[in-house]
Amino acid sequence: MFEHDDDALNRMIDRLREPVEMDPRLDTRVMTRVASPGFGARAASAWEWLRRPRAVVISPITGLGLAAAIAVLVWFLPTRAPERGEPLASDVTAVQFVVVAPGAESVSLVGDFNDWDARLTPMCAVRDGRLWTVTIPLAAGRHRYAFLVNGARWLADPSAPRAQDDFGAPSSVVTVGG
Amino acid sequence: MRAGDQAAYAVLVARYRARLGRYAVHMLGDRDDAEEALQDAFVRAYRSIARCQDDAKFGAWLFGILVNRCRTAGRRAARRQRMFVRDDASLARAAAAEQPEAPDWDITIRRALDRLAPALREAFLLKHVEELEYEAMAELTGAKVSALKMRVLRAREQLRALLSEVERV
Repeated sequence: MFEHDDDALNRMIDRLREPVEMDPRLDTRVMTRVASPGFGARAASAWEWLRRPRAVVISPITGLGLAAAIAVLVWFLPTRAPERGEPLASDVTAVQFVVVAPGAESVSLVGDFNDWDARLTPMCAVRDGRLWTVTIPLAAGRHRYAFLVNGARWLADPSAPRAQDDFGAPSSVVTVGG
Repeated sequence: MRAGDQAAYAVLVARYRARLGRYAVHMLGDRDDAEEALQDAFVRAYRSIARCQDDAKFGAWLFGILVNRCRTAGRRAARRQRMFVRDDASLARAAAAEQPEAPDWDITIRRALDRLAPALREAFLLKHVEELEYEAMAELTGAKVSALKMRVLRAREQLRALLSEVERV
């Protein structure tokens, strides 16, 4: 009887461990709130204001002028920088690496793709030096990497699958494409 | 605030969304409440990232914030339920009428989890679904290891009984 009960419990645990799909728009909502503390109330009233119907009278000459101005603006808009996962060439993708390293003086990204050379891919500090980030082009495939903090301490990416390098230091794996 | 901060943080949000979301959904049993708790956790983590002292433990630190948000959301949901649910007898009749003859396995799981006390559900999910060690659970929840072991044991016992009850129906 106990084995039978454990079987049901184990089936339940297996089911609960399966990935749960979350709404990807959640990221946008988080970043909107992050970008502007107290955003909620102000945004709601601004949205209400924008949605309020109102009559706008534009003369034909003004309309032509506006159309020309929009055309010029679109023409001169700068090209958008690649984001994570956006294809650059046929098999090259821009990948952004981020690590939380408070108090670090320098952080470098090292991996198969730069022959584990700490001088080649220094990371930039953002968020008062708490977050370190760099975006690099990577060819499709599996790449091993790690972060080198202050030129001495190896750190695997806590948010990525672990790998073990040939010398036993912690490292992580990123798979691009496929 | 610089755009670089946000772009970098967006990468972390995307990476941790699924893992943390699973815990919130199972803990709260309501997808909207779970998304709200998760959203709050990410925003709070960003605003207080200076308090995260150990770079290797960012994920655990973030998880701790989510555990707290889920506790708050759970209490709020319980209050909400008490406000709208007053007639237990009618509710029981309505629930019985809604039940299909052979309850779906996911519904069975959800009902079983819902019947656990929040502290037991929390300990069970952290141990068996998130597969954390008791020491890590103690850090996240602020409870002692011995208390957590007891909660997991009691949760398992209760779930076994609840599941066998359903299978007998």
